[in-house]
Amino acid sequence: MPALVASHLTRRFDARVAVDDVSLELAPGEIFALLGPNGAGKTTTLRMLAGLIKPSSGTVDVRGRIGFLTEAPGLWDRLTVERNLMVYARLHGLEDPARAVDEALDLFDIGGRKQDRAAQLSKGLKQRVALARTLLHRPDIVLLDEPTSGLDPESARDVRELILRLRGERRAVLISTHNLDEVERVADRVAVLRARLIALDTPAALRARLFGSRVLVRLAGPAAPFADVLKPAFADVRTEDRTLSIAVSDVERATPGIVRALVQSGADVVSVVADEAPLEEVYLRLLQKGTP
Amino acid sequence: MSRMAALLGKELADLRNNPAVFLPAIITGAISIVMPFLIAIAVPYFSGERLADSSDFRIALEIYRDQPATHSLDPEGAIQALIFQQFLILLVLTPVAGAMSVAAYAVVGEKQARTLEPLLATPITTFELLAGKVLGALLPGLVLATACFALYVGGVALLARPGVYRTLFFPRALLTIFLLGPLASLAALQMAVCVSSRVNDARSAQQIGALIILPISVLLVAEFTNNLQLTSRLVLLISSVLAALNVGLMAVGIRLFDRESILTRWK
Repeated sequence: MPALVASHLTRRFDARVAVDDVSLELAPGEIFALLGPNGAGKTTTLRMLAGLIKPSSGTVDVRGRIGFLTEAPGLWDRLTVERNLMVYARLHGLEDPARAVDEALDLFDIGGRKQDRAAQLSKGLKQRVALARTLLHRPDIVLLDEPTSGLDPESARDVRELILRLRGERRAVLISTHNLDEVERVADRVAVLRARLIALDTPAALRARLFGSRVLVRLAGPAAPFADVLKPAFADVRTEDRTLSIAVSDVERATPGIVRALVQSGADVVSVVADEAPLEEVYLRLLQKGTP
Repeated sequence: MSRMAALLGKELADLRNNPAVFLPAIITGAISIVMPFLIAIAVPYFSGERLADSSDFRIALEIYRDQPATHSLDPEGAIQALIFQQFLILLVLTPVAGAMSVAAYAVVGEKQARTLEPLLATPITTFELLAGKVLGALLPGLVLATACFALYVGGVALLARPGVYRTLFFPRALLTIFLLGPLASLAALQMAVCVSSRVNDARSAQQIGALIILPISVLLVAEFTNNLQLTSRLVLLISSVLAALNVGLMAVGIRLFDRESILTRWK
């Protein structure tokens, strides 16, 4: 059963349509990435999902508590880390706020900085505290608005690890981001948004839909004699010196059969790699096409 | 209510870590304390001319003639009592005006610091948010006002004619400090918070919130010019009006606080 179902969400600001007829579902244990250029309606969509603003039309059905990490960490600079979290624990009406805060401090490994004022923290640490704040009340659905924006690579990796941990805890996670590398690493499904949903699928399926996928097999000797071995099963087989390039619909399913056929026909296989278009290419192509 | 208390605790902690915000209030409070002492004690002392010798203060004698508590005062003491009582209202207003800078930033400040959106993502209601913000600015202002009043009474007991300080404990004086003052402060702060939730600029909120000072300044001037006597009954009447105004202002504040436009239209 989905944790969150958004149906035909539309949001207008006067004459401007910021979000147009967006529908999506979010399952427990799923990481869903919302991609789109600036002004595409990502933050507006997240705000509607979080219940901060109302859609002009459409509905949001939520099963569980929501935690929303806003684009900026939004910590009170003059208060300590602990105090920042304590205020939110009490705002959420938690039974034992002090314990919840201690657990969050431990979980995010920031207990050593709890007496520091938020203003003293690095951007990465602030984001970590903001994530701790987002998860204080143990939400079932976690909405993250550009969670690694502006972070150094190490801090961004830490945040990604935290996001993956959320998937392990069976929470539904929706990330709005520009960071395609991040999406590549963590997302189970991707939606590309430009007011309307241009595409929604797994990264692999989007790639395959636009570019197809290829398996590159490097042999010890010339590749040309072995192309015919594969042609009955694969329509598009190309050779170049010692390499075979085979177009496949699903890399993981096709690769074992390719290797088996080549080895059975006497080929010495040196390496096998998937030749996939970078997600960036997929994203840019989708935006160029601009239609679902 | 626990959410309001949580926000109030945050506001007070924030102010504790930024006491400089009350510096203007402390300075103006100090000036309000010193001014009546200059008029009632220092000027007559250095000029060698008693207040009772001036015809300008004859009204003071008339006002206090009928009040049993002032029967023991000599003419100079009665005039001092009038001056110290008249300046009480200024004493009330001064810390309020200072505390208003806190309230003016209440919503604008959160928005500018980008702390408002996570706050609005919690289950806090608009009433709890506004009440927490107003009380967060009001309580320190009242503590300051009470401290100023204590200093004022101490100064009068020490420097004025014997018995003058007792007039500061007349019902009129106590109602002014502990009823009219807080209610006027509350109205001013609520106005500032209301405006703060509709403008992008804290200064606008501060200026509009400060409008509450005008009618009270009129009272002060009317008293100084002997066109009005601020009796206990009148203080109670004005306080009742302010109490009703405060209820209305909270209702208006909640209506004006448009979460969506604050989040989506403010830059």
